[in-house]
Amino acid sequence: MYMILLSVFFPILAGVFLLIRFRTPLSGEGNASKRKTLVTLTGCFLVVTALFTGAAILTQKEGVTLFYLTKTLPVYFEIDRMGTLFSLLALVVLLCAGFFSFEYMKHEERESRYYGFYLLAFGVLNGLCFAGNLITFYLFFELLTLSSMPLVLHTGSKEAVMAGLKYLFYSLCGAYAALFGIYFLYRNCETLSFSAGSALKASAVAEQGGFLLAVAFIMILGFGVKAGMFPMHAWLPAAHPVAPAPASAVLSALIVKAGVLALIRVTGLFGRDFLQETWVQTAWLGLTLTTVFMGSLLAYREPVLKKRLAYSTVSQLSYILFGLAVMNEEAFTGSLLHVLAHGFIKAVLFLCAGAIIYKTGKTRVEELRGIGKEMPLTMWCFTIASLGLIGIPPTGGFFSKWHLAVGSLKSGLPVFDVLGPVILLVSALLTAGYLLPITVQGFFPGADYDYNTLQKKEPCGLITVPILILTVLSVLVGLFSDNIALAITAAGL
Amino acid sequence: MIVSVILIPFITGILIPIIPFEKRRQKEIFLETAVVLNSILVWYLLLHHSDSTFLLAHFTGNLSISFRVDGMGMVFAGLVSALWPFATLYAFEYMTKEKNENVFFLFYTLTYGVTLGIALAANLLTMYFFYELLTLVTVPLVMHTLTREAVLASRKYLYYSLGGAAFAFLGLIMVIVYGTTTDFIFGGVLDPAKITGKTDVLLLIYVMAFFGFGVKAAVCPFNSWLPQAGVAPTPVTALLHAVAVVKAGAFAILRLTYYSFGTDFLRGTWAQDVVMAVVMFTIVYGCSRAVKETHIKRRLAYSTISNLSYILFGAVIMTPLGLAGALTHLVFHAVMKICSFFCAGAVMHQTDRHYVHELNGLGYKMPCTFGIFTVSALALMGVPGLAGFISKWNLAQAAVESGNPLAWGGVGCLLISALLTAIYMLTIVVRAFFPGKDFDYATVNDAKDPNWKMLLPLFAFTLCIIGFGLRSQPIVDFLLTVANGIE
Repeated sequence: MYMILLSVFFPILAGVFLLIRFRTPLSGEGNASKRKTLVTLTGCFLVVTALFTGAAILTQKEGVTLFYLTKTLPVYFEIDRMGTLFSLLALVVLLCAGFFSFEYMKHEERESRYYGFYLLAFGVLNGLCFAGNLITFYLFFELLTLSSMPLVLHTGSKEAVMAGLKYLFYSLCGAYAALFGIYFLYRNCETLSFSAGSALKASAVAEQGGFLLAVAFIMILGFGVKAGMFPMHAWLPAAHPVAPAPASAVLSALIVKAGVLALIRVTGLFGRDFLQETWVQTAWLGLTLTTVFMGSLLAYREPVLKKRLAYSTVSQLSYILFGLAVMNEEAFTGSLLHVLAHGFIKAVLFLCAGAIIYKTGKTRVEELRGIGKEMPLTMWCFTIASLGLIGIPPTGGFFSKWHLAVGSLKSGLPVFDVLGPVILLVSALLTAGYLLPITVQGFFPGADYDYNTLQKKEPCGLITVPILILTVLSVLVGLFSDNIALAITAAGL
Repeated sequence: MIVSVILIPFITGILIPIIPFEKRRQKEIFLETAVVLNSILVWYLLLHHSDSTFLLAHFTGNLSISFRVDGMGMVFAGLVSALWPFATLYAFEYMTKEKNENVFFLFYTLTYGVTLGIALAANLLTMYFFYELLTLVTVPLVMHTLTREAVLASRKYLYYSLGGAAFAFLGLIMVIVYGTTTDFIFGGVLDPAKITGKTDVLLLIYVMAFFGFGVKAAVCPFNSWLPQAGVAPTPVTALLHAVAVVKAGAFAILRLTYYSFGTDFLRGTWAQDVVMAVVMFTIVYGCSRAVKETHIKRRLAYSTISNLSYILFGAVIMTPLGLAGALTHLVFHAVMKICSFFCAGAVMHQTDRHYVHELNGLGYKMPCTFGIFTVSALALMGVPGLAGFISKWNLAQAAVESGNPLAWGGVGCLLISALLTAIYMLTIVVRAFFPGKDFDYATVNDAKDPNWKMLLPLFAFTLCIIGFGLRSQPIVDFLLTVANGIE
């Protein structure tokens, strides 16, 4: 029973240890050896955490109650299928991005602070995935914001600090909106534990159904902030690009997914029957589709690569939320597939952007002419990931979008059953529009490109191998999408 | 014995200027021993209390000065006596840089006795008497530095408080006339036979008395004295203006609402709506002003204004759960706010910086102070696992439970305020730990963590914050029995 606690609290303690042990900036004498210790330690911690997490998933069958906040508020962990899915994604991306950082962070200051909070975020994400009731979930949801904020403002430029604060306040605003809902849910639910499924008291539904719908909507808006849902999306394109590239990858691939997991949990507690065909569902669908379209459009006209990717995250996250809002099995499967696919793909894209910055310092899209000639491996990965995000078979993105579209068409919702797939298609087109030109320019710089100045700039293994692993995984999600979909539906989530 | 805990601080305080101490250290030991002994005595009294009332003096009719230990009194007296020794210890170190120590410690210690008097008062008159006394003994503390600013602030404090007390006096008279007794009896003492047809007048008087006592609890629009009084030395602002004085106001309102007028009489009336609306407004108003304020102590003072109204919000829900929520926040906020105030004081004492924008990069030089400040900030925001979450949870549950739509709006106010709290507290944390790329660390080289006299209280309070947050059950259970009128 200790594995689950170890997987959560070991990285947290390790992170705190790093923060305290290496609190002074690395400088002057003994810099190199000190950095080596730091990196080795972090690497060990990451691997050990990964092992603990794996062991927890494999062995843990029943839940663990850690302690009670008040008489009726247990901090309770339980691993279910949903948690497993998210934590496996987190595990892989965090490991890859972690090793990527060892090379990438060489040119950043105050590495120890970065690694410390990176490990903290790892533990907190595990806690989030394994949380067995809404209170525990909320606890880790808040902690996630707090532990990932230092990653955003790591570089310390004025822009980064402002973006970090923006991230913090938007996220807290969302969390408090959600807490508002939790206060009321606690009164009106049999239990806040996730294993029970829909837990609303029948009497509460009968007496204050209308009010509870409003509560549900507030919670959706609140948790939606973390997932970058319109109208509270503005923090995302500000915060993600300013972080160091591996941190952007983690933020975009994982931390925003906390919002998705939250909404899965919340809709689970309210129950589909309660929300289906109400104004809440309609409003939610409207918001997600708006976000999908708007995100893509903004990405399309954004010249800075990392910012473009951040806008793309806004749009792609709402694909997932759209699937949740449709509220049938097919779309839900699509959502979960997209969680995986987008997680791997976005990590690859951000890491590639990071590799480019690391080697060439180029950040704007128009500077990337001929980059494919200089860094072929990186750009091949970038291209494959791009294709995945656009949704070209047989990559992961194709199957997830397929399920989303079919689910939407099957749903029988007025207007949205057709409008949904249409907007998804338009957005896919825009995705092609904002990602492919980078590849095209990168590999086909044009006749006037001066090949004499060309230098091979492929980065070292610590950078390319994580990217490669993630790229392969993003394709595998597509190839084995049937198996994954089966596993998901078999879980009857 | 119940009188002795009030008298010991009086005697100790008066002795301080009289005894010619040779060294400062002797004085410190004398004072700290006396305070600690008194606190132990108070706790002994609380744990072995009997239900009897101690009559000190009897005037006419049912007017008397008498003391009794009951549930509410236990909470407040226990809280105050637990905090005072730590605050005194902190004050020793802090006051090394200020003048006129003897006068300061005289009134500081007197206040201890007076506050206990409020907590242990058995009837409205006794409480009113000590309430007035509290104003008088704390004015010199606000005035302490004798700058023009301090004199103005103390004058304002005096006028506000006395004016408030006058309104509260109206309430006292009403209870004398229309009540069966002035003693505090859970559920109220109004005589149903006498009040028929007088309901509206009584409600009006209740609202007036609420605002009267509310002056000390810094209810909008009577809050402006509190931030100004921040000119006082930090031990005063931390202990008196975050705990003792302002919570005496809140405590008086709780007494008035639950023990004199009675919630059965008040619940569901227009008076409840009025006071609840004002309290909700104050919650948001205090926080918004705190966000705007750049002086650290004044920012925390505005935060106190908002948090005091959390307590009053619990009070005006007027259900046992509401009272339990109010008491929880009364206790937990005391610990959190005194902790953050002491951190601010430590910064001012060590580096002589008073404004938020001067704090850049200090986190690396004063890791303990700012680490603890961060914990208290997170607790005030209401991050689960720390004390603030529990008290807000109790308040919000009480509001949800009450079924009063206005109270549901109040839950919204609590959360808006939580967000604003995050803004005004975490900007300080971010400044201290993330000063930005171009920051020159040489400018903070002079700063370092204070010595153990300052750090010990800080660590003790931090432990309390975390302890209450993780294991609130015993204390919340006790407060629930109090709130149900059992103790």
